[in-house]
Amino acid sequence: MKITSAADLETVRQAGLQKLQPVKPRIAVGLATCGIAVGGSRVYERLREIIKRDGLDIILTKTGCIGYCKEEPLVNITIPNKPLVILHKVTEADAEEIIKLVQKGKVPADKALCRVPSWDHVTGCILEYGKGFTKIPLYGKVPFFKGQQKVILRDAGLINPEDIDEYIAVGGYKAAIKALTGKDSETVIKEVEKSGLRGRGGAGFPTGLKWRITRDAKAEKKYIICNADEGDPGAYMNRNEMESDPHMLIEGMIIGAYAMGAPDGLIYIRAEYPLAIKRLKLAIGQAREYGLLGNNIFGTNFSFDIGIATGAGAFVCGESTALVASIEGRTGRPHPRPPRLTDIGGGLFGYPTDLNNVETWCNVPVIIINGSDWYARIGSKDNTGTKVFSLVGKVDRVGLVEVPLGTTLNTIVSDIGNGGANNKKVKAVQTGGPSGGCIPFRLFDTPMDFENLNKAGSIMGSGGIVVMDEDTDMVDIARFFINFATGESCGKCIPCREGLKHSLLLLNRILAKKGTKKDIETLALLSDTIVATSLCGLGQTAPNPVLTTLAYFREEYDALVKP
Amino acid sequence: MDEPTLDAIIARYEAPSGRLLGILGEIQDQEGYIPRETLGMLAEKLDVRLSQLYSLATFYSYFSLTPVGEHVITVCMGTACHVKGAPAILEALEGMLGIKSDTSVDGKFSITTEDRKFTLAIARCFGACSMAPVLRIDGNLYGYATKENLPAILGEYGWEP
Amino acid sequence: MTPGEVSSTDGQKKQVEVRINGKKYPADEGEIILGIAVREKIAIPHLCYEPSLVPYGACRLCMVEVVKRGKRELTTSCTLQAAEGLEVVTDTPEIVKHRSILFELYLAEAPKSDVIKAMAARYGVTKTRFLKKLDTTDSLGNKCILCGLCVRACNEIMGAGAIGFVNRGPYTVVNTPYFEPTKDCYGCGACVKVCPTNAVEMEDAGGMRIMKSWSETKVPLLRCDCCGKYYAPKGLAISILARITPSLKEETAALCPECRGKRIAREEILAGSGGAGNHG
Repeated sequence: MKITSAADLETVRQAGLQKLQPVKPRIAVGLATCGIAVGGSRVYERLREIIKRDGLDIILTKTGCIGYCKEEPLVNITIPNKPLVILHKVTEADAEEIIKLVQKGKVPADKALCRVPSWDHVTGCILEYGKGFTKIPLYGKVPFFKGQQKVILRDAGLINPEDIDEYIAVGGYKAAIKALTGKDSETVIKEVEKSGLRGRGGAGFPTGLKWRITRDAKAEKKYIICNADEGDPGAYMNRNEMESDPHMLIEGMIIGAYAMGAPDGLIYIRAEYPLAIKRLKLAIGQAREYGLLGNNIFGTNFSFDIGIATGAGAFVCGESTALVASIEGRTGRPHPRPPRLTDIGGGLFGYPTDLNNVETWCNVPVIIINGSDWYARIGSKDNTGTKVFSLVGKVDRVGLVEVPLGTTLNTIVSDIGNGGANNKKVKAVQTGGPSGGCIPFRLFDTPMDFENLNKAGSIMGSGGIVVMDEDTDMVDIARFFINFATGESCGKCIPCREGLKHSLLLLNRILAKKGTKKDIETLALLSDTIVATSLCGLGQTAPNPVLTTLAYFREEYDALVKP
Repeated sequence: MDEPTLDAIIARYEAPSGRLLGILGEIQDQEGYIPRETLGMLAEKLDVRLSQLYSLATFYSYFSLTPVGEHVITVCMGTACHVKGAPAILEALEGMLGIKSDTSVDGKFSITTEDRKFTLAIARCFGACSMAPVLRIDGNLYGYATKENLPAILGEYGWEP
Repeated sequence: MTPGEVSSTDGQKKQVEVRINGKKYPADEGEIILGIAVREKIAIPHLCYEPSLVPYGACRLCMVEVVKRGKRELTTSCTLQAAEGLEVVTDTPEIVKHRSILFELYLAEAPKSDVIKAMAARYGVTKTRFLKKLDTTDSLGNKCILCGLCVRACNEIMGAGAIGFVNRGPYTVVNTPYFEPTKDCYGCGACVKVCPTNAVEMEDAGGMRIMKSWSETKVPLLRCDCCGKYYAPKGLAISILARITPSLKEETAALCPECRGKRIAREEILAGSGGAGNHG
């Protein structure tokens, strides 16, 4: 059937609710890439075997990742009229016991992480699960989850990402219908502008403004692109967003395409994310079946469809002009601006193009449904909304953390993350990936927002936070990043191509204890020139790890050279 | 790769957007590398210069121009993995497979054992950072890799000490 | 819209005035600042700029300081377009500092290039503290700076597509696919002409044009029926001759330009026309 009205959507919503809260027990296994990497598939297979073997009336399904990656594999149990229970560190061996208990309306208490009596899906839908299991801790009391505010990750780890009905069940596509049938493009753009949403890819450019510029460009055709290249090592928020809740990205792009007048959208996704690619293709197919993509969406005269273009292992293709070159079948060598992507002659195949990060798109449906005022109340004045951060490295509680912008590093690393793993002292974090910098522990009262991170010498980037402890060698970290940047440089301009190469040689010499004080000075001079003269963002930011470690951890460099 | 297979791949990419990289990606996935004859055939069928395709194949890390072994082991060298000891994992694997880290002329790290059973490569991030260090063998991801559990993991693919 | 183009209704470019180092210069709106500097003989070093190609921005030597909305910004003058009241400074201390480091990098990358040595010396840089690239097998004689002009001339101007960039980052080189002789080369020599450091080597020998830098690609040369000299790449010459209308007579077409000129002159004189005539 095609969904052409709010009534149609409601019909599908009811069907979806039957799946999410069926009259029989439902077991959902966390099968995002991280869950699979630690055995989630085997848990799923074993449960399926047992259910089949004994001919049981239990629903077995997949779900994404709720973000507490340290505790994977995670499994949800929904027993009618009882709270949803999340089990952690589940193995194949636990399968028999789980099934046995579930048949009796119970859950294995020793494997239970927490219970969820009700869950707010932030789209005006609150699912009530039930009372009971009082001995199991409440979700909101789990230290990892306590400080978080789920907006982007509102469905992740709860719904089945391979079933559009479940997305619709929790309020999905309500925003799209509201925008396409009830608002004009100017209203939609104003709403996004007022919300204060800024690009979540790292640049923090006001999204509404970028949409307005694209909409206003006078050309016969426009494109919108989702940057799903997520090249920062250590950052995997976008991967989870796509694997656990692909439809929120699609819905965001539908609304954006409508506002900007673009009939074609593309998702540029890195080749190293095969599961995300698979789930997106599936989701796009399901959206097409319902008429949510294609011609005359919701019976309006707006037509829009989304295609997928894969990357091929080039970090530089996260840069907008290189990304577009890649889609056009060329090597990812950035070109100087002007022209910008939104200019006539500057975008994909020469057409004005709007490029936004995955998470930026995912913010759009909640802004339209709940309004810009609601959104602007989260975070702080110039840094509104939440941000999903990946908290990884030498921290105790590893996973995805979603908090309002402006939350301090202390809250994220020490409270939610519980500080250093194995009782080691945290020394610093690296934010913003290879384009960012290292921030020492003494500056952990730094709020995580665009401006404050810049002040500290780093950047927000896409949201990766890599924790380093007392055993981490900061000069080695600087070398790691320069090595990375050298390997990912496109090679077009000399400061990046040769400058980074020689920076690496200097760092190798210093780390091999063969360096001198002059080498450190040369490294600093070279870094400044690379920043000032490189053609694109990769070169302009690649020396940041060197510059910040020189600023904050100079003693580690000095210790390696002769006085 | 025979011609009908290549034609089938090309047919899957009608839109100009993402066409070239998509086709090359599928060839890479199916063959494990991009054979020279296939690249030449592709240049003719798409009416693009061989030099353009060669530039693409050598620019992007995902593509390999040299045949790979039966099993491809890719070690993640991302930040979280590095901090959690990926270099040691790489070194251990080099020892286990009897190959030495090659600072290759083309910048792509990929070495194959003499008996062509295993290829060792690196990647920049699989996005499974929470279970660092991570390695991938033939499309299967393994988290929390340690020097101790490597023999068991490799054993699944026929490795013997 | 490509840089340099202006959207005006009657095709007439608007005249503006820009200030470079305090002096005023007239310009077309949208004109490239580096082009103006070259025209007015203002010294801004550059290596990858070619007026017939879209600005590339690779060499980074042409950086200038521009005042934009009250803020001082460094930008490449090859991508900066003239607008009314634009103010540009070419040699601030910051630019001099960064430029010196860039020249040191160039001296290290192309240590055998006399052009680079001379340019660097003009800007006060005579030695480099960075490790020099000295590869005796380099078919570009350790003079290549990867400016991309040869690749762009071959692909965008000539449409031959015989060479391209191979690999990326510091591993980048320019060559033919698989580093083997290519059938796509026209032998036109545009790559040699356009190279700013004279790195591309080409030699005519034994009736063949040998592109020594491009994996010894050999292109047969056309031989003059009269003097026996090899004077032009065969394929290219034949395809161009075929496109001339009215077409040349067969015997004349088989001659090199010198002999052709002599033959036509003799015919004219013998015919007694003594003036401009049909050169067919």
